[in-house]
Amino acid sequence: MSFDIKQDEGFWRGEFQSMASPCELLIETDDESLAYALTKLAFEEASRIEQKFSRYRQDNIIYKINNSQGKKISVDQETALLLDYADQCFQMSDGFFDVTSGVLREVWKFDGSDNVPSRNKVKAVLPRIGWQKVNWQSPDFTLPEGMEIDLGGIGKEYAVDRTAMLIRAHSDNSVLINYGGDLYATKPKKNGNGWLIGIEKTGIKPAQIKNKKRTSIKEFQLIQGGIATSGDVYRYLVKDGIRYSHILDPHTGWPIKEAPHSITVVAESCIEAGILATLGMLNGKAAKKFLQAQGVTFWIN
Amino acid sequence: MQLKKSKSVRKVLAVATTSLLSGMAHSANSGDNSWEMDSAVLFYSEADRVSVIEPVVSLRKDMGDEHFLNLRFVFDSLTGSSPNGAIKTSSAQTFTTPSGNSTYITAANETPLDSTFHDTRVAVNAEWEKPLNKTTKVTYGANISKEFDYQSLGVSANFSWDFNNRNTTLTAGAAINADTINPVGGVPTGLTAMSASKLTTGSDDTKTVTDLILGVTQVINRTTLMQLNLNIGSDSGYMTDPYKILSVLDGSGNLRATDPYLYEKRPDSRSRQALYWKTVMGFSDDVLNLSYRYYWDDWDVSSHTIEAKYRFSLGDKQYIQPEVRYYLQDKANFYYYNLVDGAIPTYASADYRLADLKTTTLAFKYGIDLDKDSEFAVRIGKMNQTSNGDAPFEDVDATFVQLNYRMVF
Repeated sequence: MSFDIKQDEGFWRGEFQSMASPCELLIETDDESLAYALTKLAFEEASRIEQKFSRYRQDNIIYKINNSQGKKISVDQETALLLDYADQCFQMSDGFFDVTSGVLREVWKFDGSDNVPSRNKVKAVLPRIGWQKVNWQSPDFTLPEGMEIDLGGIGKEYAVDRTAMLIRAHSDNSVLINYGGDLYATKPKKNGNGWLIGIEKTGIKPAQIKNKKRTSIKEFQLIQGGIATSGDVYRYLVKDGIRYSHILDPHTGWPIKEAPHSITVVAESCIEAGILATLGMLNGKAAKKFLQAQGVTFWIN
Repeated sequence: MQLKKSKSVRKVLAVATTSLLSGMAHSANSGDNSWEMDSAVLFYSEADRVSVIEPVVSLRKDMGDEHFLNLRFVFDSLTGSSPNGAIKTSSAQTFTTPSGNSTYITAANETPLDSTFHDTRVAVNAEWEKPLNKTTKVTYGANISKEFDYQSLGVSANFSWDFNNRNTTLTAGAAINADTINPVGGVPTGLTAMSASKLTTGSDDTKTVTDLILGVTQVINRTTLMQLNLNIGSDSGYMTDPYKILSVLDGSGNLRATDPYLYEKRPDSRSRQALYWKTVMGFSDDVLNLSYRYYWDDWDVSSHTIEAKYRFSLGDKQYIQPEVRYYLQDKANFYYYNLVDGAIPTYASADYRLADLKTTTLAFKYGIDLDKDSEFAVRIGKMNQTSNGDAPFEDVDATFVQLNYRMVF
């Protein structure tokens, strides 16, 4: 695995693959060595976070916790901060945002089919869900046997914000970070403008400067801050004319009713944008009202 | 989802995100190889007496994984005159210098001061801080200090443990110092006559200083922090000041004719205790710092120290801080303003710092953030030391200016 840099009009583009997503940096500079250095920094940080927090690996803290069989695990500072964060998100969302809800994937497969699980199957998983059942006394974490945690819901956004911090510490140039549609702009460009972002039906990405056929339904200038999207037009089930969104209520184990297809939110950081978008989805048809009350810029599809 | 407090979500989230990202910003710095430097220079001057210039440079480097290296360099330069312990009399007095090679004369009705008093001191202190796990930390230290007639070598270890969600910290530490003194002209035999051919016990002597400290720091609430420390110390060896003398008066209150000045002599052991309480309270942008210390030892010295500082913020980048400190001391059981012929005790010292004493210090500090990584402060103060008992020694009045500059590089 490695990264690439290419020169574009007025900026350098760094590219690599991480966290199962295409990742790119747009760096406002003519300086190839700076572009190389910043892309390397970003690549290493994204790889580090993926390696440390991916639930698909067997050599990291998440695996250790998920295979602790009810025993107490002492965690490092960064993991502790993320668990604190998960705890605060759980509290503020009255239990709707729950990093232990990933086990619902055992019964829900969002592949566009009509494969809706039976009530009993869903019910059987529920006892293994619930952040209130874990014992978190930093730095000691005890997860009841059979439960799992998954920081995937905040991992990519966290990687974007962490990368932005590292880039800021190394360079004063404006950089747009895009990890699979989770974005962050470090500062305004030299002319005072932001980076042009295209909000599309299938997600968001930097708008192509010389794109012949634009697919964006909306364009937006990101001057500084984060953007994230929750929801995905391809991840749903349809049965008997009912569309089941992949946003699941951890209390019932069933999809949130009448949730939008996707929500995109702009916030101070990428991780805040991501949480607000997810909370918006969890509000179902009240998503718009909820996001308006937060006073953030958002788009609902 | 029916959020009960849906309006406050964004604010709560912003606070949580700040602690997540800034919590790691701390570790993110670990690789950037920067040093934190704190430099200060103190100018201290007692009216007609001692002047001190003391530059201090402290360096701190984050070595990654919460390991820190701390280095501290102190350079003291001391000039001027210091009381030699003799009392003032109605006629001029002649004293022998410590080397025995010359004499100095104090005019009538003046406090005898030893003007040969001058010294420079260099001290280096190094500390290594390392975490044992996420909530415990140990700091090892070593220090060396050198003056022309004094050397000190020491080692220390400190352990701290955070618990109760990091709201409580317990600390335990121990330190030991081994000092050697080589006084000019040898180590005078205590309570023998000051003369060019004084009796000595040798050319040098030693002292061992041991300290144990136990402490607890408690976060009371979001704006208040409290600290309580107990310090237990034990000193053994030579604690006498080889350059200080006492006047011996005869029955009629005049200096006795033969051997009017004797070298002082202090006990060769001391056990000390101190209790220290401090509280720091925040008021929006301002900070109040209050502390009290009670000290007592088996020389019967006991003291109370009360200190208060209030930091007023002037906008984001500047502050002013008035400070007041009050110190009250009960004398050592071997302190004498002067001795009387025929009643020479086993131990005696006329060092006013062991007398019934009251010290008042007023200071004022101004600080400004120059940019993200540097800060400048100036502190100006006045101190008055005065007798709080029968001993009629003269007041000591001092002024000091301290300049401080802190930066990351």
